[in-house]
Amino acid sequence: MIIEEEKNKSGQGAASNHRASFVIAVAGNPNAGKSTLINAMAGARLQVGNWPGVTVEKKSAEFEYEGRRIILVDLPGTYSLSPYSQEEVIARDYLVHERPDVIINVVDATNLERNLYFTLQLLELEIPLIVALNMYDEAGQKGFRIDTAKMASMLGCAVVPTVATRREGVDRLIETAVEFAESSNRREMMAVSYGEDIEKAVRSIVEDMKQHGAELVNHGPSRWQALKIIETDEIVLDEMGISADDNFLKQATHHLSKAHGEDLETLLADTRYALAAGLTREALKKPETRKRELTERIDAIVLNRYLGIPIFLFFMWLIFKLTFDIAGPFTEWFDAVISGPLTHWSAAVMTLAGAPDWAISLVTEGVIAGVGAVLIFLPPIFAMMFFITFLEGSGYMARAAFVMDRMMHAIGLHGKSFIPLLLGFGCNVPAVYATRTLENPRDKALTALLIPLMSCGARLPVYLLFVGVFFSAYAGTVLWSLYILGIILAVMVGWIFKKTLFRGEAPVFIMELPPYRMPTMTSLLIHTWEKGKHYLIKAGTFILAITICIWFGLNLPWGVESKRDSYLGHIGQAAAPVFAPLGFGTWEAASSLITGVIAKEIVVSTMGEVYTPKDGDDKEKNAPSVSEELKQIGVSFVGAVGKAVGNVFSTFGIATISMEEEEGTESLKTAIKKNFTPLSAYAFMAFVLLYVPCFIVLVAMRHEFGTWKWAGVTIAYQSVLAWTVSFIIYQGGTLIGIG
Amino acid sequence: MTLADVKPGQSGKIVKIQITGALKRRLMDMGVVAGTVVRVEKVAPLGDPLEVQIKSYQLSLRKAEADKIEVEAVR
Ligand SMILES: Nc1nc2c(ncn2[C@@H]2O[C@H](COP(=O)(O)OP(=O)(O)O)[C@@H](O)[C@H]2O)c(=O)[nH]1
Ligand SMILES: [Mg+2]
Repeated sequence: MIIEEEKNKSGQGAASNHRASFVIAVAGNPNAGKSTLINAMAGARLQVGNWPGVTVEKKSAEFEYEGRRIILVDLPGTYSLSPYSQEEVIARDYLVHERPDVIINVVDATNLERNLYFTLQLLELEIPLIVALNMYDEAGQKGFRIDTAKMASMLGCAVVPTVATRREGVDRLIETAVEFAESSNRREMMAVSYGEDIEKAVRSIVEDMKQHGAELVNHGPSRWQALKIIETDEIVLDEMGISADDNFLKQATHHLSKAHGEDLETLLADTRYALAAGLTREALKKPETRKRELTERIDAIVLNRYLGIPIFLFFMWLIFKLTFDIAGPFTEWFDAVISGPLTHWSAAVMTLAGAPDWAISLVTEGVIAGVGAVLIFLPPIFAMMFFITFLEGSGYMARAAFVMDRMMHAIGLHGKSFIPLLLGFGCNVPAVYATRTLENPRDKALTALLIPLMSCGARLPVYLLFVGVFFSAYAGTVLWSLYILGIILAVMVGWIFKKTLFRGEAPVFIMELPPYRMPTMTSLLIHTWEKGKHYLIKAGTFILAITICIWFGLNLPWGVESKRDSYLGHIGQAAAPVFAPLGFGTWEAASSLITGVIAKEIVVSTMGEVYTPKDGDDKEKNAPSVSEELKQIGVSFVGAVGKAVGNVFSTFGIATISMEEEEGTESLKTAIKKNFTPLSAYAFMAFVLLYVPCFIVLVAMRHEFGTWKWAGVTIAYQSVLAWTVSFIIYQGGTLIGIG
Repeated sequence: MTLADVKPGQSGKIVKIQITGALKRRLMDMGVVAGTVVRVEKVAPLGDPLEVQIKSYQLSLRKAEADKIEVEAVR
């Protein structure tokens, strides 16, 4: 224990009244340990929602403390009260408008100066403030000696050293917060003095505001407001209804800007930083000799000119492999249980109850299949969120962005875009969720739009079927060419979007490279769980509903004999001419593409059904008994766990890209041989690669962005792209005589 | 001289930021203020962005922005 529990109650004798509940906002620089500290204070009671109107996560926690209900709000990390990113706007608005009862300012003790710069701004909000001097263990390891009492007296607020990862100092932090919330004494907080000139202007603006009336005064403490007016902070001016060329503003700042050559914003920032530097000098004793730190030593290798990219690619390969190797067996297990026992048990129960055939079909092929569609994505989402959270919490994510930024920047993306795109090769759905690491909405949207061009695992069975029929001699090359086609098109589409939909200044890249740190298992698990839970509830509902709709499409009007006569079949027939110039203008191909929207591998099974209609009751082989199947579910789950563990240890062979399994029955292959030429087969594969992603990706986009807009854009551009590219392939090939 | 001219391993003292608006504010908030000494640590493997040490933390920014930060040499 490196923090002694001091028992000096600073608020002795202060009038205090017990409050039933109050709100504590936890604010600070990114990576200072806010989330970890909240976990330490409130345990696992963290709730994750969204901030109103935006899709930035709002994390809060409620807990009981000696008969009080305390609400903790985890604000997004921010460097300043003048927000730059969407997340910073949220933190700023919350502090200024909601005015929590207490602010806990998490300060990284190893980086006092920049953190205190923010503390100084928080003090100006005149809300009771407690500094949680976090990372106190690391500061100790560096040989830092911090005089917390001196810091507290200079700042005029409480300073509590903490080690969030080990819960040290947390009890005292809570006690202090309660005391601050309940004390009615006003504390003398440090007021930054900006020099006589500015202070005079502040006083006169405050006077003016009083005369102007209440509507000006109601947006924060008046001194703070006056300072923001001097800085010409656009948000504050906007909130106060002052335009930039308002007389009031001109008067207030006229002589100041005259006296000080440079702009006032710079002057104030300089003053604050000078003060933060002064405070740091007073309170912090650094050792004479500086050790070469762990972070530096790791970076010397990880960011090395020659090794940087290979190491990054190795980590990506590892994560890709672990995500899909761990998730794969569980996905198969869900799939087997749902399409096997669950389906025919329900069918059996419903038959017993005398339900009509259509109802049984609705339940098994609509509802249960829908549940299955939701559940099979759960394992990769869990696995991937775990690794992504680890990358972020450990500090490597920033390095990955650093290493890849040059390349990604060329196509208008951010260094951090690389990882979601890469994950897209496994499965586009978790990849869409992985875009959350991009703070900027523009980068995030553009990345998500390009993800569907990464050929996911579900497209592989379609390729395998066609490659097996037409290109078995050079299967590898043909397969590879499709993946490369997707990547080249992503580069081109990215470039076009950069010039059109996302025109204007690309966001700049100004990013901290935080020290490497070990994330705690609890925080990894909480985040993973929250993302999975949200996917299940929010996306799951949509997915289920759409699966049921598709079932109706395939089975209405009542009593259709062949799929050809169903509504979807009709649509297929109507759509077929559209595909004629691409070389596959048959209703069979069209219907397969339509059902492929559920998941691309369904193209294969639909083709099986429409090209080779079966006699109907081949599904009901002699069904095993219920107890046997129950046992089987358990055994296969244990098997899945074993397989996942085994996969982790077996170094090579990503399970999804094994070439052995040939898709499709012999009769299907014959039918395909009859209906396609090698050229139209290749055009068809390109079409499957490029046309709309499966609807689960679209739902994930909706979920992640809070609007259907980007899903809509994806559908639109991909349809056009797929058609054009297949057209060029087929017609071009015919022209030069390959057809 | 600008920050983009500083070789890895060498330092410069910030004189002026030739950027305006929100981006300047952002840089200032992250400690890029006049009088501060910045050391260029590394250049990314593909030649951009840069990693610099400022106010005892590591910051990375692209050369395009670094080129608008005037510095004077410090030995
Ligand atoms: N050594 C040490 N690591 C910490 C401490 N507090 C947080 N961390 C680690 O610092 C990283 C960032 O913490 P996090 O809570 O995500 O920061 P946030 O961005 O402010 O929410 C994680 O890897 C944490 O495990 C601490 O007091 N000591
Ligand atoms: Mg956090």
